[in-house]
Amino acid sequence: MILYITTIVVLLLLAPLLLSFIKSLKMWLLFKRPTSIFQGYRNFSKLLSKETIVSEETSAITTYAPFLVLSPLLVTMFFLPPVVQGAFYVSFVDAFTITGLISLSTFFLMLLGLDSASAFGGMGSSREAFISALVEPAMVLTVFSVSMMAGDLGVGQAGVNLAAHFPKEHMASFLFAGISFFILLLAENGRIPVDNPETHLELTMVHEAMILDLTGVYLAIIETASSVKFVIFASLFVSLFLPFGYTYAAPLAIFVFIAKLFGVAMVVAILEVNTAKLRLFKVPNLLGIAIVFAFLSLITFYVLGA
Amino acid sequence: MVDFFIGLFLASLITALFTTRLYRLLNWYAFNSLTLGILALLIGTKLDDNAMLITGVVTIIIKAIGIPYFLKSFSQKFHFVRQIQPEIKVQYAIMLIPAILVFTFYLAEPITHMIANNSNYVAISISSLFLSLLLMMEHKNIAPKIVGFLSMENSLFLLGITATDGMPMLVELGIFFDLLMAIVVINLLFNREHEEELNND
Repeated sequence: MILYITTIVVLLLLAPLLLSFIKSLKMWLLFKRPTSIFQGYRNFSKLLSKETIVSEETSAITTYAPFLVLSPLLVTMFFLPPVVQGAFYVSFVDAFTITGLISLSTFFLMLLGLDSASAFGGMGSSREAFISALVEPAMVLTVFSVSMMAGDLGVGQAGVNLAAHFPKEHMASFLFAGISFFILLLAENGRIPVDNPETHLELTMVHEAMILDLTGVYLAIIETASSVKFVIFASLFVSLFLPFGYTYAAPLAIFVFIAKLFGVAMVVAILEVNTAKLRLFKVPNLLGIAIVFAFLSLITFYVLGA
Repeated sequence: MVDFFIGLFLASLITALFTTRLYRLLNWYAFNSLTLGILALLIGTKLDDNAMLITGVVTIIIKAIGIPYFLKSFSQKFHFVRQIQPEIKVQYAIMLIPAILVFTFYLAEPITHMIANNSNYVAISISSLFLSLLLMMEHKNIAPKIVGFLSMENSLFLLGITATDGMPMLVELGIFFDLLMAIVVINLLFNREHEEELNND
């Protein structure tokens, strides 16, 4: 139990660090002077001490939606596969529950965007709805096919099974599921081929458009929610698709897990530097590839068993 | 390990179906050929077949480095259209590609009963054959059609090395020389067309 709590706390503390790490690595790759990797914590503490102003046009939704954006993600943190052998984990939660919780959080984020009564917020919400509607089928299919390979529908149990017995005989379908899940990781977290997290007041933005009116504590909560979401996706990717180092002793296993999370962040940063942002109407092409790969992974597993 | 590279082979082919830029398509073709070469090397070491090892090395040199380089230089020389929009819309392609895959997986089932080992690889290479046919069909420009033709040859090669445990060396080298001749002929053809265009102007 103590390991379970420790890993969740470590992952929560790590969340702002990972996003700041991506940002500073990107700046370093573009020959700019990189910001500190602790910038995420600084922003958080700065936003907490700032005054919170709510627009007169908004209803009560704005005052409680930020908490409802964060809380489903915090609940999801408890359902992730274990990091260390012998740690407590929730075995019965399946792909549908996790996808549902993440989309519940997205739903409240969209409500928040609509509630701000600015044209930008509504536009951002409609784009977010468009993207997440395309993400969900692929997400369910991918996690489902990985669970089939692991031999258990529960995501936590699937992570444990994969670490104990790596599916060498299903390598082809495992690879397809991995490609699909990585595209989803980029799309759901608003990274570059889908959305640019660094721009403000640009016609292409999605996530920033919805939270443009927020200040102070509410903005801090939303920023935390987006970093927690990245940690959830990255750790799902790591424990389902790179399941090694699980059997080491507790501190070493946690260290290996964190190193793998930073590896994922590094790959995301390198990809972001090398690709241009897609036009909004080209985003279905990318997510279509994700859906094709997810489906392909399932049928390769069922028909060929490869 | 072989499964992993077979997966990469099919994955790069599917990604090539969705690309809209010529150079990126050539990169995917080069990656596809690279995985094919590595597969030949892996299966060759498993079967202890020296001929297949040589074929693998020749595949990597010619198909993964040579042909993409030549095609790229042709496209610069003759000013090909570099934006290649597929004729089949993406939303239809999303439905069509899984349908083709399911169809070919079941199509290959009677054959796979006849082959003792690596029966899955036959199904995957037949499906990649159909997918490269789709790559030829979905483009109107000549350059992606050539790439489709070349990747069809790749999948036939995969079928050769997986289903028959390696064709005779002579046949494989013959195919390579055929391919090089095809590239030379394509070059001549483009030269002729280019000259005629200049004359017309």
